[in-house]
Amino acid sequence: MTATRALGWLSLAALAIGIGWGLGLAPREETQGNVQRIMYVHVPSAIVAEYIACPLIFFASVGYLWKRRAEADRLAHASAEAGVVFMALTIITGSIWGKPTWGTWWTWDARITSVSILLLMFIGYLLLRAATDEPERAANYAAVLGIVLALNVPLVHFSVYWWRTLHQPPSMLKPGPMTLSPEIVRPLLINILAYAILFAYFVAKRVRILKTEAEAMA
Amino acid sequence: MMPDHWGFVAMAYGLAAVVLGGYWRRLARLEREVAAPRTRSRAAR
Repeated sequence: MTATRALGWLSLAALAIGIGWGLGLAPREETQGNVQRIMYVHVPSAIVAEYIACPLIFFASVGYLWKRRAEADRLAHASAEAGVVFMALTIITGSIWGKPTWGTWWTWDARITSVSILLLMFIGYLLLRAATDEPERAANYAAVLGIVLALNVPLVHFSVYWWRTLHQPPSMLKPGPMTLSPEIVRPLLINILAYAILFAYFVAKRVRILKTEAEAMA
Repeated sequence: MMPDHWGFVAMAYGLAAVVLGGYWRRLARLEREVAAPRTRSRAAR
């Protein structure tokens, strides 16, 4: 069994535990009721997209512009493609949670708007790659856009502090003591781990496909 | 306290399965597509 395939099976096992815990074992939250269980999908996908995919794109893009190594470009490309999936999932599940909790599917809140801009930049990154015929030029343009895209993450993270927003401030990625109860933190951490492994599987597999495509074209 | 809204929970988990499963299947299809010419060229040799 290859390492990538093992990663795939591991992600499925972790997801099964995470879903079971989030939907079954985790207690019903006092204020929000069962709608809070959507957070076991929303928060992990947001963390993977913003704090794993974006830094990977940033460092791989800087690495490509510096060393001109095709491996770095393939890593940035794969991370952006998998990142767009998790970013879209963040917005979809956030919207579904927002309807029963805030009474609306959508609002032009600073966090939601900045995350949506980030999603559009992810899509733009992939469109730019697809629209540029010459692979080296596509890699150069994408690397520059990849760096700009990743630099938006601090704006997304601090948007809840810098502007008055409906979206609550971070419960986990913040200085000071944790405000969540351990009964909620444990399934959340399991799901974050499961989503991170799934992301790693997606990226590893996509990198391998991109490498095979490049070898076939050479 | 808010009502349960299990429908919203099911919608969120269902859409997550569709989105993540859809990308999983796309990668599997792409892998098959890039592997096919290699298999053919190896067989021709």
